[in-house]
Amino acid sequence: MTRVRVQQAVFEAGAEQAALTAGRTDIGAVVSFTGLVRDFNERPEVQALSLEHYPGMTEAALEEIVTEAEARWPLQGVRVIHRVGRLAPGDPIVLVVVARAHRRAAFEACDFIMDYLKTRAPFWKKEHTASGEYWVAERETDHQDARRWETTS
Amino acid sequence: MSLTHLNARGEAHMVDVGDKPESRREASASGVIRMRPATLALLADGQLPKGDVLATARIAGIQAAKRTHELIPLCHALALSKVSVDFELDEAESCVRVSASCRLTGRTGVEMEALTAVSVACLTLYDMCKAVDKDMEIGAIHLDAKTGGKSGDYRRDAPAEPAPIVTGEGEAGEVSLGARCALGEPCILVKCLAELRERLGVGEVAVSVDHLETADVAGLKAALKAMDPRFAALEEGRVLCAVNQVMAGNATPLTAEDEVAFFPPVTGG
Repeated sequence: MTRVRVQQAVFEAGAEQAALTAGRTDIGAVVSFTGLVRDFNERPEVQALSLEHYPGMTEAALEEIVTEAEARWPLQGVRVIHRVGRLAPGDPIVLVVVARAHRRAAFEACDFIMDYLKTRAPFWKKEHTASGEYWVAERETDHQDARRWETTS
Repeated sequence: MSLTHLNARGEAHMVDVGDKPESRREASASGVIRMRPATLALLADGQLPKGDVLATARIAGIQAAKRTHELIPLCHALALSKVSVDFELDEAESCVRVSASCRLTGRTGVEMEALTAVSVACLTLYDMCKAVDKDMEIGAIHLDAKTGGKSGDYRRDAPAEPAPIVTGEGEAGEVSLGARCALGEPCILVKCLAELRERLGVGEVAVSVDHLETADVAGLKAALKAMDPRFAALEEGRVLCAVNQVMAGNATPLTAEDEVAFFPPVTGG
């Protein structure tokens, strides 16, 4: 099991967490974030989402983000899964699981990985709505979120 | 699975259905006849020289379903309880979609009857319109669903929408600029991803290193614009660049065999 995966198939957050902590007694905290497809975004009535990525570079970018997280917080386990292809509202799209001896670092590292993933990993969303399909635009708030980590390091 | 129309010696024979229980059987099939938009417009307006095209094709399809056993050698003659043939004019695709459904209570399936009805309705449409359009094309004739009988219910899966996961590959409907490199010439492979690919209508293009004034990303952009003015879009809005899958800028040097990707800001998560 590699710590970074890009896949079409659905993932199961509970199973991923169990795999990460199996046989371990040094882990005191597991923080997990699951992102779901919303049925509203820039426009209402989102019926589906298509996710594209840049195979090869995507995996490398996620690996780099995890490596940077590990340099900031000594972590005992990380799992990042991002789905691609066509997804429906309510479907899980991204999973970040971070295991650590204490909770603070686990919370922070999970937050950090998501912020960097949203601004650095080459994924693109196209939303299919009742009023047509369009590519999702980048958000300044995501960049602001990512910049928080530049001053605290 | 064996073919029921072949006996133990591999010879064709008609299956004896006398001992099979009667059950309610239904089947639906569909097909498409593509034509010029002008032909479709004439058809819709009832302006074709042979008269009411759709009514004629409908009767032809129903008649054909009833006579399937005369056309298809090992088919049984069936007392169909219902045959319907319907047409949908699709202006966007410039075609007529033909569908047929057949029903009976009996011992054999009615899928051949539904397929025959669609085929003959399409042929009749061709005959009725051929005076104005000889390029019409009949296609995609298939069984959509059948219910009843020993082999159970069948429903054709809708063709899966292509999941555009792998970006940077040309897709249907795109204008391909083709490889601009002669065989053996040192090339740079350029990929346009996601929204940028759709905006430019270009997925992949190869550029000869010799066309670059300066051997860097800025030089590549200039060469692309010289090849095709659409690449001016590379300067519009925020367009990111990666060389060999590592983020890069205008000054990043390039050599032959490099893979350069241009793409919009990322929106994952």
